[in-house]
Amino acid sequence: MPVCSTTKRLMHLLCWLALPMTAQAMQFNVNQAQIYQIGSSYTVNANINYQLTPRVEEAIENGVPIIFFQTIQLLDRTPLLWDWWQWDKVIWETEIRYELRYHDLSKQYMLHSLDVENHRNFTTLASALNAMGNISNLTLPPAFTNTTDSTILRLRSGIDLTALPSPMRPGAMISNKWDLTSDWFEALWPSD
Amino acid sequence: MALRLIRRLSTGTAPYFSLAIMLLLLAYLLSAATQDKSRLNDLFLIIFGIGLTCLLILAGLLTRGLWRLYRDFRRKSAGSRLTLRLVSLFVLLIVGSTSIVYGFSVHFLQRGINSWFDVEVEQALNDSLELSRSAFGIRMRTLLRQTRMMAGVLSELPDSSLGHNLRELNRLSGALELSIWNMDGRIVVSSIDNPAIIVPNRPDEAIVRQIKQGEDYIGLDPIEDEEFQLRAAVKIPRQSPLAEERLLHVLFPVNEQLSTLGKNVQDAYTDYKELSYLRQPLVTIFTLTLSLIVFLTVLASIWFAVWISRRIVEPLQELAEGTQAVASGNYNMQLTASGHDEIGFLVRSFNQMTQRLTQARNASQRSHRLLEQQTSYLTTVLGSLSSGVITIDKDLYLRTANVASSKILGINLQQRLESSLDNLARLNDNLQSFAMLIKNYTLKPVAWEQQLELSQIKGRQTLMCHGTPLPGKTGWVVVFDDITTLIQAQRNAAWGEVARRLAHEIKNPLTPIQLSAERLQHKYVSLVPADQAETLTKLTDTIVHQVEAMKDMVNEFSDYARSPGLQLEWLSVGNLLREVLTLYQSNPQHQFALLNSQEDLQIRVDRNRFRQVLHNLLKNAIEASEEAGLAVDIVISYHALRYQHQRWLEITVQDQGPGFPTEMIDTLFEPYTTTKIRGTGLGLAIVKKIIEEHGGDVWAENLGDNGAGIIIRLPLEDQQT
Repeated sequence: MPVCSTTKRLMHLLCWLALPMTAQAMQFNVNQAQIYQIGSSYTVNANINYQLTPRVEEAIENGVPIIFFQTIQLLDRTPLLWDWWQWDKVIWETEIRYELRYHDLSKQYMLHSLDVENHRNFTTLASALNAMGNISNLTLPPAFTNTTDSTILRLRSGIDLTALPSPMRPGAMISNKWDLTSDWFEALWPSD
Repeated sequence: MALRLIRRLSTGTAPYFSLAIMLLLLAYLLSAATQDKSRLNDLFLIIFGIGLTCLLILAGLLTRGLWRLYRDFRRKSAGSRLTLRLVSLFVLLIVGSTSIVYGFSVHFLQRGINSWFDVEVEQALNDSLELSRSAFGIRMRTLLRQTRMMAGVLSELPDSSLGHNLRELNRLSGALELSIWNMDGRIVVSSIDNPAIIVPNRPDEAIVRQIKQGEDYIGLDPIEDEEFQLRAAVKIPRQSPLAEERLLHVLFPVNEQLSTLGKNVQDAYTDYKELSYLRQPLVTIFTLTLSLIVFLTVLASIWFAVWISRRIVEPLQELAEGTQAVASGNYNMQLTASGHDEIGFLVRSFNQMTQRLTQARNASQRSHRLLEQQTSYLTTVLGSLSSGVITIDKDLYLRTANVASSKILGINLQQRLESSLDNLARLNDNLQSFAMLIKNYTLKPVAWEQQLELSQIKGRQTLMCHGTPLPGKTGWVVVFDDITTLIQAQRNAAWGEVARRLAHEIKNPLTPIQLSAERLQHKYVSLVPADQAETLTKLTDTIVHQVEAMKDMVNEFSDYARSPGLQLEWLSVGNLLREVLTLYQSNPQHQFALLNSQEDLQIRVDRNRFRQVLHNLLKNAIEASEEAGLAVDIVISYHALRYQHQRWLEITVQDQGPGFPTEMIDTLFEPYTTTKIRGTGLGLAIVKKIIEEHGGDVWAENLGDNGAGIIIRLPLEDQQT
């Protein structure tokens, strides 16, 4: 995984160098993320907008399973130079992974949550993406949320390119049509 | 250390072999990375990137190598033409063969991958999918109808009995799950066949939306374990318009056989579709990998070709340089022999050749030195000869001349080597005579011998010349001796003999004549008449005087002829001269001047004889001046000088007299040569004899308008020796 992310970064760099004028293509977007306090623990509700490029849709239609990931992190942020330069330390991280594939016989989109072995079928791609984009009542570990003063919760989502079939992988890694990973979205803590 | 390692690795064969191994490794990694199940799969891009970097480095190296080659070619440096030709040949071979292999490989690759896919297979798979759908469709339609009926039944029931009836319907219909939902997605009531499941399966939003729009839903639902179930959703008819809109959601099982078949069809279809979709990326990846490997191989091969060409040409280049060096005279050239092939053999042969050339040159130098030594030896021998030796080539050009020849002829012949005899003849009359003699005799190739008379400043010079033709008619060697002294000695000896005999023959009768004349006078002067007595006395006196004169003359002859042993002793020249001069200073009209030498010169001579020399010379000078009526003014000088590697004492006696008649100057020192009215003509002859007895030389010189000088030269010895 680290190697792949290094490669990806390298490829990004290459892309940036090669195509400096290319505008950033469409990507996933975290619409909102909210933290609720229930008792002494906190839960997160979030909504991610998955907007797929035609290239990705084409792959799904052709039976290629696509793995999506949602990364949620808790950071301990230490400001070193006020707001300009801060030291972030990841204190907790979780990743939710989904596999989305098209089932030809039933003409349904199968969304498979890889972590909890949950399986759902959707008649349309939009409803499948919609269902995937809804994170509700994700409980944060209480051990890391005792003090929320310097703790930051952030999340992002994207496609795991390393899980693509190997012939597609190199192309996907250097193509911006596959690079749909959202920016980090920092959620706000509920005010007491 | 690291630098040395890098340098060592970057020179010689190491970089090429390491490059070859790296390329092989890279090719293996690339091919492994393109395998579907390989662990290197994730590293494909990195390996590809490394490959690309290698390609760039190689291209850079190759460009550098080719640029150097081109530069060498432009400069026309040795071997560049052959290297370029070899490289071109290699490149042509490499590019040609690799292009063919590459072209066919790409072609086969595309054809091979495309051959996996077939229109008929695709159609069959589509058809089987459709067939499966149809098979499910029949069952679905039946179940939809059944569900609608159940919805109709349920619509008429009050909410309170819904749960019970639902369970009953569940049991009767054989459904897996029955549930009633309102349109907001809230569950009303459910019945689940499997007691392990508590929460009923929620219909999808899209299904709810479809129901809202008044369309019932029936669909195949894949579940875990790759099995199927059928999902039906129908709207429950409302009994009153105010009643809540509800839907019935039913999940039916699919029989196992149909499920398995459907799964197989789905799997095959999906696999085929995915494979077909991945065809293009696969071809691209394979082609890219192949291209990279091919390009790497081609570039590495060309690089290697450049290297190997240089390596092949290097010994030839060295050979060329070596040959040039040999041509320019450097025979010490030794090349580094490498390999046991023909080029190595050539290099070794070259080295042998230069060795032999060096040996030959050394031998030639040795013989040259020997020749020079011999020449120098011969020159020394010739130089130390008292005879003059010259050689003349067949064109009558002077080739060699020894020191004695120059000395004898009075002209430096060694500075005039390579001059023709005609040119030499123009220098003076003597040389003209000499050259004429040689020219006359060189007409015939036979040895000759001829005496030649020359006139030098010191007098007549007689040369005895011998000419011998050189072998091969290449010229002549002429040997000549100055025999003037020899002839003079012979002449002197003859004169001595004459004088001795004369003295002997004449002296004997003189005394009786004198005595007889005196007696005649004494006896008869009283007997003759007085007038005749005077005559008698006069006559007898004359006889007596003449006899006296004849006695003197005979004594002089005797002195000349006599040659007793010399009584040699060391004397100071200055003292001796002053001593002699005091005897002449009684006459006030005679002027003498003695110019002393700067050093006190000691000479080993016979005192009496040397005095006689000086007396003779002074007397000669005084008489010459007096007879000419000129003032007697005599200057005597003496000094030491170096002549012909020897120290000499030179004494000059100069007068202000009339000088010697030119015609007499050659025979001045011979007996009976005199300009005086009275005189035996033996004075200078005796001088010459005594001087020669002392190993010296004497000659006369006229001093311009008036005056003459006699020069005596005596050898100076070191007193101690």
